Amino acid sequence: MHTMPVDSEAKEIARLIDELKKTALEIHEKFRSVPAARRNTARILASIKMLELNFSDLLALDES
Amino acid sequence: MEDSEYWNPFLETLPPEKIRSLQLEKFQRIFRWTYDHSRFHRSLYERAGIRPEDIRSFDDIRHVPTVEKSMMRDIQRKAPFPYGDALCVPLEEVTEFRQTSGTTGQPVYQPDTWQDWEWWAECWAFILWAQGYRPSDRVFIPFGYNVFVAFWAGHYGAEKIGCEVVPGGVLDTKARILKIQELRPTAMMATPTYVLGMADTARNKMGLNPAEMSIEKITCAGEPGASIPTTKRRMEQAWGAKAYDHAGATEIGAWSFECTAQPGGLHVNEAFFLVEIVDVDTGELIEDPGKKGKMVITAFDRVAQPCVRFDSKDIIEWAEETCPCGRTFRLIKGGVIGRADDITKVKGVLLAPSAIEEVVRGIDGLADEYEVVVEKRGDMDHITLKVELLPGRESAKEKIEAELKDQLRLKTNLGYHLEFHEYGTLPRYEVKARRFKDMRKGH
Repeated sequence: MHTMPVDSEAKEIARLIDELKKTALEIHEKFRSVPAARRNTARILASIKMLELNFSDLLALDES
Repeated sequence: MEDSEYWNPFLETLPPEKIRSLQLEKFQRIFRWTYDHSRFHRSLYERAGIRPEDIRSFDDIRHVPTVEKSMMRDIQRKAPFPYGDALCVPLEEVTEFRQTSGTTGQPVYQPDTWQDWEWWAECWAFILWAQGYRPSDRVFIPFGYNVFVAFWAGHYGAEKIGCEVVPGGVLDTKARILKIQELRPTAMMATPTYVLGMADTARNKMGLNPAEMSIEKITCAGEPGASIPTTKRRMEQAWGAKAYDHAGATEIGAWSFECTAQPGGLHVNEAFFLVEIVDVDTGELIEDPGKKGKMVITAFDRVAQPCVRFDSKDIIEWAEETCPCGRTFRLIKGGVIGRADDITKVKGVLLAPSAIEEVVRGIDGLADEYEVVVEKRGDMDHITLKVELLPGRESAKEKIEAELKDQLRLKTNLGYHLEFHEYGTLPRYEVKARRFKDMRKGH
């Protein structure tokens, strides 16, 4: 059984996910009245959530 | 990462103790979400005297009340219409409507947000990657796209991992086979019944050999057939392809999958789901391999209409073995064996319809279709098994009948009245087959 440790690679992914989320959230909130901005960032945020489920949750567990 | 044999090597090879820690954290999160946002769940938990801060261990999880499909039926078709009190988000955040097939009663509606739909596709990405799907695959989906979730999610999952997807929606079986010839897809998704039915049509109505077509792998859903060895073998021989199983449900998600190692069972995606097995009669937790029970399942990350300790009635058991593929997600042996509703006592003996399927499909000379009718005659249960002989095998009927009787007695401990029907006359199904008919009062 070969297991993969939560290493620096996962930490780096999690850090970049945070940055992505900040940017997407900023557009999502700042341009509420522009449907193309609001709806496309809503979809991006859903994808970012999948990244969090795959990586950030695990890292949070390591840090708790 | 495209060279990785795992969709997510971090999650899929986590040490078991770490998986358990992740599951506990994620259960706490979805429980709090559900408690805070669903009036239906909150009321259920308040009656049981359980609050989010009470969930500190797996033992605490066992005290959370289970939810049954009948409870969901009762709260639906009311405001917020049509989902009722289990809806956890404003209606305007719902982007997807699906419903259960209604096999066991009135269908249950399932709302999903776009995030939930991404999550469905993510669950399928784990499945398909484990079954060897890659961006170079062209995937044909001969599925009547409609209100049922099945291969919609497979479609989006395949797109997510980069495959080219050919939707084979409103085509009849012959047209679908011609489309396979025309486009040479490398993979296909369908119910086991339909996989066999397509092969039958190709061979017997079109003079084509499906094993000579381009399909290399088939992902099945909707029925347990791809985990029944004789049905799997028939599909693989018919198409010259690997047939893989997965298990999922509208109100749960796609929670398990077979990998290319074909270990005789399904991996539970334990990063996304908590599967508990409980004794059907006592409700006691079954943690050791080798004992069957019904599944109680939690989907950690589904938010619009959460699935928290859902009593699925699927009968499963943990496998003893680990999988040579290296995934640490536990295996359930032989896939979903049946449903607690279907596994019924006949003549005092527990009978699982899948056991009959395994016998019928293991006998050379019988066609793929069959039907089982259980009736009460006087005080006695009476079982009729209807089968078809393959064309050209009529002269072997006596030998086949004797073998069928022996195998049925051996595998199910029951005697049957056998009816041989002309080839092609028993019902053919495209989605979920209904081959088991219990006509006794109360069934």
